[in-house]
Amino acid sequence: MPNVTLSAERLFQIGPWVITNSLLGAVLAGIALVAVAIYVSRHVSAVPGRLQSVLELPFEFVYGVVRDQGGRTWRQMLPFIATVFIFLLVANWMGILPGVGTIGYYAEEHGERVLVPYVRAAAADLNFTLGLALISFVVFVYFGIKVQGVRGYLGELLAPQPRWLAPLMGPIELISNLSRIISLSMRLFGNVFAGEVLVLVLLVIGPMFIFVVSGLELLFGAVQALVFALLSMTYVVLATIEHAGEAHHENLEPAHGD
Amino acid sequence: MDLTPLAAGLAIGLGAIGPGIGLGIGVSKAMEAIGRNPESYNTLFVPFVLGIALTEAVAIYALVVALILVFVA
Repeated sequence: MPNVTLSAERLFQIGPWVITNSLLGAVLAGIALVAVAIYVSRHVSAVPGRLQSVLELPFEFVYGVVRDQGGRTWRQMLPFIATVFIFLLVANWMGILPGVGTIGYYAEEHGERVLVPYVRAAAADLNFTLGLALISFVVFVYFGIKVQGVRGYLGELLAPQPRWLAPLMGPIELISNLSRIISLSMRLFGNVFAGEVLVLVLLVIGPMFIFVVSGLELLFGAVQALVFALLSMTYVVLATIEHAGEAHHENLEPAHGD
Repeated sequence: MDLTPLAAGLAIGLGAIGPGIGLGIGVSKAMEAIGRNPESYNTLFVPFVLGIALTEAVAIYALVVALILVFVA
């Protein structure tokens, strides 16, 4: 049976770079996306064919969400949010493909014969999700600084209004901003890795239920991709909001009135 | 005696109680809102998914602790 390891297994090494099976999964997902994008952009037409319609679906969905909820910098952040969403969608769904996580070679580890899969779902490795979360962090800090200026953004972060609460609120804001990296990466990693483990466990105790879980994994993969993209978007919106003045109240309005 | 499996089971089991209650409350309120006003679905969807994700994240933290206990510690 395939063994379960928390960290991605090492396949081979090119110079100083260790190629793990999770990295291979991420690269394959990227290659698949680029190949499909090149093929479709060559055959693009105003009246979309079957393939083009299917491929436009996720983008149109994320486009609509970012346009409606993305605040004032929605146009600038749309490429990032859409890329994260579509890449994670493909990477997560790749983990359900037969063979991913099950086809591999046997290696000796601690005197036991274990199966090392060639390809592993990209997000089932904390390095991958942590990298994405760091990118997301850099992006929302970048948008915050771009919109509010260095002084405005850092001032808002470290010394929020009212001033007398700043010694208390400053550290809280700072920690809550930094903890977003951990929560983003852990959420994605935990969901995808738990999904992999669930499929493996079910493979052993009751293979006939594997279709049910695979269906659930399709749903979870899409939801987690959506959640990562939406949270990245929300962080950018929070970073670009004007805190002092009417903008804040304007944002709260729809919650009360109807 | 190695109590690590027990610790992992307790971590995810106890850690799932709170998010379970929270998810129940959150989803029931969202369903109620959609039931009362079906047009609110479009406005509700994004905040709903975000809220669910943030609630569920707590359970995922417990799960990560449990997984680390099983596979690393």
